[in-house]
Amino acid sequence: MELAMPPIIAAGYYWHLPFLILVISLVYSATRHDDWKIISIEAYRWGVRMLSFLGMIGLFLYIITLLP
Amino acid sequence: MNLTDENLPESKIAPVNYSIYGIPGAILSYLVPGLGQILQGRIGKGLLFFFCVNGLFYYGMMLGQWSNVYLPRAKNLPSISLPFNFKIPNCIAYRMQYAGQFWIGISAWPAIYQNYEYDEESDPPLDPYLGKYQRTPPETELNLLQNRSDRSWDLGWVYTVIAGVLNIMVIYDAFMGPVVFIPEKPKAK
Repeated sequence: MELAMPPIIAAGYYWHLPFLILVISLVYSATRHDDWKIISIEAYRWGVRMLSFLGMIGLFLYIITLLP
Repeated sequence: MNLTDENLPESKIAPVNYSIYGIPGAILSYLVPGLGQILQGRIGKGLLFFFCVNGLFYYGMMLGQWSNVYLPRAKNLPSISLPFNFKIPNCIAYRMQYAGQFWIGISAWPAIYQNYEYDEESDPPLDPYLGKYQRTPPETELNLLQNRSDRSWDLGWVYTVIAGVLNIMVIYDAFMGPVVFIPEKPKAK
């Protein structure tokens, strides 16, 4: 059985995603708080949330590619 | 740590000076992301907004071969009406992405100038200062860009639109302060 290449490696444009997640989480958190420590905690949390959400979608799509 | 208003440690709450917020800061942050915050004395946040939002916008433009921020005249195309006979100008109706990109401020103004000054269908000359920067690309060039196999052109305009929309939150921050306000506790008499 030939395994499909994981989508994140097969499509190079996924590598642009970390910059987008970093910017969105930082800017969003900074518009909600003024304290740097709280901003960094919130940004980290939003980054993890977005990565997990997109990761789940990516995993789902990868599993679909494995189906006959 | 739960970051709700009630659970924030009091030592971490910086005193909020409400007098610095307002329309001038909002206008400046619209023109250049973060400029309003810098002039309000929130220099670190202003620089964060400046580099992050502008960085995302120009990164998106770079992914799109510097050809994904433009405003076509689209004068030969049929006009589009919304309910109640509300008509959208053709330049926006046929390039909705610009409605998001517009909020980045001055960085997206060349597209308005190119739209006002040059008709994309008459093979216009290069602008002496801007050249073809943010001008509607010819149909053949657009087809070529959109059919690229790596889809970076489409990804690029998404990035520029997100940057513009993020700047709306930055404008709000300059206008009203951070969204999560910590109400001052009444002083004990």
